Amino acid sequence: MSLLQVCERLEATRWSTALRESTYVYAAVESVHVLTLALFLGLVIVTDLRLTGLGFRGLPAGEMVARLRPWIRAGFVVMATSGILLFIAQPAATFTHPAFRAKLALLSLAGANAAIFHAGIYRSAPAWDPAAAPPPAARIAGVVSLIVWAGVVAAGRLIAYDFLR
Amino acid sequence: MNFVEWCEQSPIGTAIRGSLWAFPAVETVHLLGLAALGGVVLMLNLRLLGWTLRAVPLATLARAADRWLVGALAVMLASGFVLFTSEAERMYGNNAFRLKMLFLAAAVIFTFTIHRRVLRADETRMNPAWRRATAVVSLLLWTGVALSGRAIGLL
Repeated sequence: MSLLQVCERLEATRWSTALRESTYVYAAVESVHVLTLALFLGLVIVTDLRLTGLGFRGLPAGEMVARLRPWIRAGFVVMATSGILLFIAQPAATFTHPAFRAKLALLSLAGANAAIFHAGIYRSAPAWDPAAAPPPAARIAGVVSLIVWAGVVAAGRLIAYDFLR
Repeated sequence: MNFVEWCEQSPIGTAIRGSLWAFPAVETVHLLGLAALGGVVLMLNLRLLGWTLRAVPLATLARAADRWLVGALAVMLASGFVLFTSEAERMYGNNAFRLKMLFLAAAVIFTFTIHRRVLRADETRMNPAWRRATAVVSLLLWTGVALSGRAIGLL
């Protein structure tokens, strides 16, 4: 069975149909997905601004990453859950949309970047000079994160449009 | 010609309606502005509530955050105005849009008056209850802006 067939099977289930046809639940899930941008992506952006040295220079970078991380994680859970629900509502049409595929590719990049950062240079964060810009590897992670997440938002917005198909 | 018609017939409004990419591109900028503004506002309010970054002095955090708060708000207002010009007449009659403008005015005024004062006040001399109340009001007002904004497309 191909992935598209899996999506079609999913689309035929009661859950998918109920979500697709409900006016309020679908709109509510969509709203949660958009509003969580502030919680999840907003705090990621704040962290990245500090990592790149573009902003929040007077604050200790390691401390900022560590203290905002639980909130970013919580935001990610809400973002991912609401995103999966939106996918379940229209799996086949979403799966074949080029913008959705671009979004998945960019999400994997963002995930890989975060994983490399946390397993690598972030381990030395307690030793970073609070007044200076973080080490080059951390600055690169911040720049990559800012660019890739902007791409995720752009691709996500385009899923709502059909002119790309 | 009134303001709404002028917006709708302006070169920006006409150009956006005439392009497939322009509207989603400006929407993306608006959403990135939402993320940045929301992130900064949320961080400040979580700090006011005492739920994060307690080791960082409030005044230091507020000073570092200020330019990003103002910058992100400017991006949101500019991109929001461009989106408005492309469908000004429909927006003008949209109740969610009207509600959003009310929330926005209240949120902006609150942010640059009471919120800012509480952020800059001497932490040791202020009752923490005032800080918490300020954070709650700020969060409610900005959530109102975002929710009524989301509702524009649904009405």
